[in-house]
Amino acid sequence: MAFAAAREFGHQLASLCLLAALSLACGLVLNRFRSAPLPLLYRTPEQRLERQLSELVKNPPFRITLEETIGLGDFQRAVADRRTLVLDARPSPFYEEGHVPGALNLSRENFARDFRRLQTVLRHAKERPIVVYCSGGSCHDSKLVAGALLSLGFTSVKVFTGGWEEWKNAGLTVSRHP
Amino acid sequence: MARISLGAIFIYAGATKFGDPLAFADSIASFKIVPNALVSLLALGIPPFETICGSLLVIGLWRQVAALGALVAIVTFTVALLSALARGLVVDCGCFGSGLVSVTRMRLDLVRDLAIVMIAALVYADSGTTRA
Repeated sequence: MAFAAAREFGHQLASLCLLAALSLACGLVLNRFRSAPLPLLYRTPEQRLERQLSELVKNPPFRITLEETIGLGDFQRAVADRRTLVLDARPSPFYEEGHVPGALNLSRENFARDFRRLQTVLRHAKERPIVVYCSGGSCHDSKLVAGALLSLGFTSVKVFTGGWEEWKNAGLTVSRHP
Repeated sequence: MARISLGAIFIYAGATKFGDPLAFADSIASFKIVPNALVSLLALGIPPFETICGSLLVIGLWRQVAALGALVAIVTFTVALLSALARGLVVDCGCFGSGLVSVTRMRLDLVRDLAIVMIAALVYADSGTTRA
């Protein structure tokens, strides 16, 4: 009798496995027809954010216009204004060698990593004026970072196009990473 | 009555997960039990499994297998929730769609799931004595 019960239970388990396989097949087919299918290779929320941020800074949907660029005089006033958040879009080794006093490093090169590191500061900066700079001259990193920030909902973002070059050449104070 | 109620619960549980498979996948991953490689497969397979088992229970077809499926599913969720609580994780069970995440909510979910385990066990035992 025990053997018969065990055999019966075995049949039930086999049927259950078949049901599970059928369910998975249904799920995969339904997923195929979704407008936003679930990727079969799961990525955690942190991994998805990192990917989105990296893609965003490469080609931000929002672009900086001429009206959103500022010269050295306006940039000096912005740096002196405690409300303004100044961001350095250069790679971190350049930032550490020397940067505008008070500037935080949000590099284009490692945007996702730096964005996550500065999350707490940035979360409270949505309404603050922000100015981004990079090397200056032909450097576009500041515009890409600024465009990414605008796409992420930051409302007041400007670019100091003269960049680090103009700041240094003007003999203004520099800070170094401790 | 218990069979139909259990079936309805599982149909509802499956239906709430169909709408947002990503949220359900995030819930599964947050328990840190299953490797990431299996998370999407579970997130896609569990809702139809629950819905099919629930429907079979309501209709009264293949009762024993459907009841066993419901029992295995709810025991698995309960054990996962217990494990998360024991490890100090604060997670969203995702059992009936996504919701607030807190230890209190997890404990309430545990009590609810234990009640469903008992109902599922009774339905399974009963379906064995009154075979469809």
